[in-house]
Amino acid sequence: MAVDLGMRVLVVDDYKTMIRIIRNLLKQLGFVNVDEASDGSAALNMMRSKDYGLVISDWNMEPMTGYELLREVRADDTLSRTPFIMVTAESKTDNVIAAKKAGVNNYIVKPFNAATLKSKIEAIFGEQSR
Amino acid sequence: MPRRRGNDARRPAAFVPGARRRQQTVAAEIGLLVHTLRELAAIKNTAEDAAGCILAHAEELLASADAGEAARGQEALLSIMTACGFHDLVGQRVTKIAATLDGVIAARVARTPRKTKAVTPRLSRRASALEGPGFPGASLDQDSIDAILAKA
Repeated sequence: MAVDLGMRVLVVDDYKTMIRIIRNLLKQLGFVNVDEASDGSAALNMMRSKDYGLVISDWNMEPMTGYELLREVRADDTLSRTPFIMVTAESKTDNVIAAKKAGVNNYIVKPFNAATLKSKIEAIFGEQSR
Repeated sequence: MPRRRGNDARRPAAFVPGARRRQQTVAAEIGLLVHTLRELAAIKNTAEDAAGCILAHAEELLASADAGEAARGQEALLSIMTACGFHDLVGQRVTKIAATLDGVIAARVARTPRKTKAVTPRLSRRASALEGPGFPGASLDQDSIDAILAKA
């Protein structure tokens, strides 16, 4: 995997169990610096104070959704190039297309498995290293 | 004119105003719906507790196993961990059902003649625009999503 395992990863989800699951999977993949946020606005504040190499976010959260977070990130000159993976139960075509248009790097539909998460992370960093 | 006792005995039921009867029926229905909402909240909590418990044990096993054992069991343990995501999906479905019931309660309350405190829908307009977990065969799977993302 052409990935810097020391980079900081931000996991955003309003379900603590889901954050714990993703954190464990990332740990098994070798990522050691994993932070968490419970909604988009908390995540955005964290991204403005720390440097994140990857964001893995749920969609449906309050007050700021993952989709809104994605749009804020892409509109921010400093943050716009941060790789962003949406991990969500939203599987409506319109939503997937909206996320794609907003600049999501990859989209994982729940329920997912470790292999899917790994392959999506690898796909992003594989593309970036090309 | 003498009053007939038999008719008097039936009068209270016969003269209950229609509005009052409707009110009683609606109140009973709302009581059942509120009870159902409580049951749904309990299901959500039970699922959360179960997921947390399974996850904690999987984490313990993964941490305590030596390198060889961990390698053998890692795949199974990771599958157990990701399966704990059921709690998230159960929670989202329960939230959708609760929002529907909130809507039903609000509609029932609005139809009753007596002024009753309005019931606030559980989901914001923004959140309710989202679909949440879909149904097998009726929503996109990971391969279909990958195909959409792969299109230029």
